[in-house]
Amino acid sequence: MIWVETLINGALLGGLYALLGIGLALVFGVMRVVNIAHGEFMVLSAFCAVFLANLFPTVPPLLMLIPVIALSFAVGWIYQAVIVNRVVTSPDPLSPLLLTFGVSVILRNVMVEVFGADVRSLQVGELSRASLEIGGLNIGIMPLLTLVLAALLFMVLQLILRHTEFGRIVRATADRRDIVRLSGVKPDRVYNYVMGLSLALGAIGGVLLAVRSSFTPFSGAERLLIAFEVVVLGGLGSFWGALLGGIALGMAQLIGLKIDPNAGLLYAHLLFFIMLLIRPSGLVASKV
Amino acid sequence: MPTRTILAATGLVLVAVVAGAPFVLNEGFLRLATECLLLLTMAQMWNLLAGYAGLVSLGHQVFIAFGAYALFLTSGWLEVNPVWVLPVAPLVAAAVAAIIAFPLFRLRDAYFSIAIWVFAEIIGAFTMKSQAVGGTSGVPLATSELIDFDWFEPIMFWLAGGLTLVTIAALYRLMTSSFGLGLMSVRDNDLAAMSVGVDVQHNRFVAFVLSAAGCGLAGALSFMGNLFIAPLAAFDVNWSVYMMFIVIIGGIGTLEGPILGVVIFFGLRELMTGPLGLTGGWYLVGLGVIAVIVMIVAPRGIWPALRDRIGVRLLDVHRTAPRPAAASVLPSVSEQTAG
Repeated sequence: MIWVETLINGALLGGLYALLGIGLALVFGVMRVVNIAHGEFMVLSAFCAVFLANLFPTVPPLLMLIPVIALSFAVGWIYQAVIVNRVVTSPDPLSPLLLTFGVSVILRNVMVEVFGADVRSLQVGELSRASLEIGGLNIGIMPLLTLVLAALLFMVLQLILRHTEFGRIVRATADRRDIVRLSGVKPDRVYNYVMGLSLALGAIGGVLLAVRSSFTPFSGAERLLIAFEVVVLGGLGSFWGALLGGIALGMAQLIGLKIDPNAGLLYAHLLFFIMLLIRPSGLVASKV
Repeated sequence: MPTRTILAATGLVLVAVVAGAPFVLNEGFLRLATECLLLLTMAQMWNLLAGYAGLVSLGHQVFIAFGAYALFLTSGWLEVNPVWVLPVAPLVAAAVAAIIAFPLFRLRDAYFSIAIWVFAEIIGAFTMKSQAVGGTSGVPLATSELIDFDWFEPIMFWLAGGLTLVTIAALYRLMTSSFGLGLMSVRDNDLAAMSVGVDVQHNRFVAFVLSAAGCGLAGALSFMGNLFIAPLAAFDVNWSVYMMFIVIIGGIGTLEGPILGVVIFFGLRELMTGPLGLTGGWYLVGLGVIAVIVMIVAPRGIWPALRDRIGVRLLDVHRTAPRPAAASVLPSVSEQTAG
């Protein structure tokens, strides 16, 4: 029974991990850039949420998600417009990688200097401990809500990309950046919105992860690696694959922690590496 | 265009400088110089991979750690002076690289970069768990009583200086050879390179293993100087950050670039943490800002931009795409390759 519970909790954690990965996948899918600073932006949004929660102690902390998401969208828009767009068309595929890595180092160290290296978390009171009892299994409400939220967000994102004009423009830009100009689309402008959306999604994941476990300014690397593993395990360009990848990683991590309490992310990393060896194309075969 | 004689003479002068420096510099300077030289070697190795083979590694700290741990453990087991077991470090790092290349080389670009980072995290986590290698608290150099401490700093400096000179000379030889030309053709266009018979995977593999071996040796020397190794320091992603910033700022894909990069790296560090009294965090922020600005303004780095402006060529193995303006560069390289 304890193992079933572990598996279910792992799956719920996976919903959160999928949220970390989806922003990264979106940016990669549209502009072929792996934003290495994604993890640092997530940690930054968590710091913002903690800061706002301390500023307005009477407001429920989870409501801070709304201003943090808006802020992250703006930050993403500006980040893309000012920095990433300058290298996105570079013939050298390494340029965006190196540039975003540089940005991640800057962000991490600015956070260390501004917020200090202390361990923090976002306190949401009773909600973080509340749980449901289903057939003898103890399921946390917060993780359950997170998984539902992740599934909902994926559905909404899918709908936006499939059925709205914005979605059509984004998909067209992802396919042929040069041709969409003929229809009056400015690709750089589209990228700005996509990066904003990506960091807004990352902010949701970052804040919810800050509720679940503590963080420091150095947590960005960990979050980036999880996000990246989610994307690769899920198969590129597949949103539902990302959800599956997240769930697999979440389960691997919690099973690992059951066997070996101070394993941290080791077993999630191991699962990723083994999958890389036996199935480099991901859990779900990628569709373009 | 430096001829072989000029290069050989410069080399001899540098050897003399390295040999004589410990008798002139005080201990603090000597230690700083050793650190500079080791980081320069690591940066050259990272550059061999990123600048010439087109593979950006964000997990190169794993080879530094393997080299350093190999030295510490072997020296402890055999109970010999660590200097005599130094060759173990590059061998272990190269062996690890040769094995890990098989899964990693299926991945391209950012996937390679992050997968090797994950690999470094996995090995780091296992190291922290394994009591045989000291766990999280690390291990001191067991044979440190065999070291003659009157000569320790000079010997460390000579080893670092020798390693740096040999590395640069070897890279220069390598890059002017047909292997180097093949490597660079793979970086620029692997399809075109393949079509003229360059074995892409083989070239990448050799560059990867060499790069790991060099980092292993430099890492072993670096931790030997501390007489102590702990996993948090050995598997620190900042090793890759330093190597990358030095190469990016100085000039990726050039031999002179990392030298300029190291000067800027340590100059800025001494300036910011010394007279300006700032913390290490702000120093990394400053370095990161410079790197980002360089990447946006001069994507090839400061040295190539400077070289084009003032027309000085030192260790030039650079060749550009056959545009009319670059015509003067091309014959010199083919001359070197033929010769």
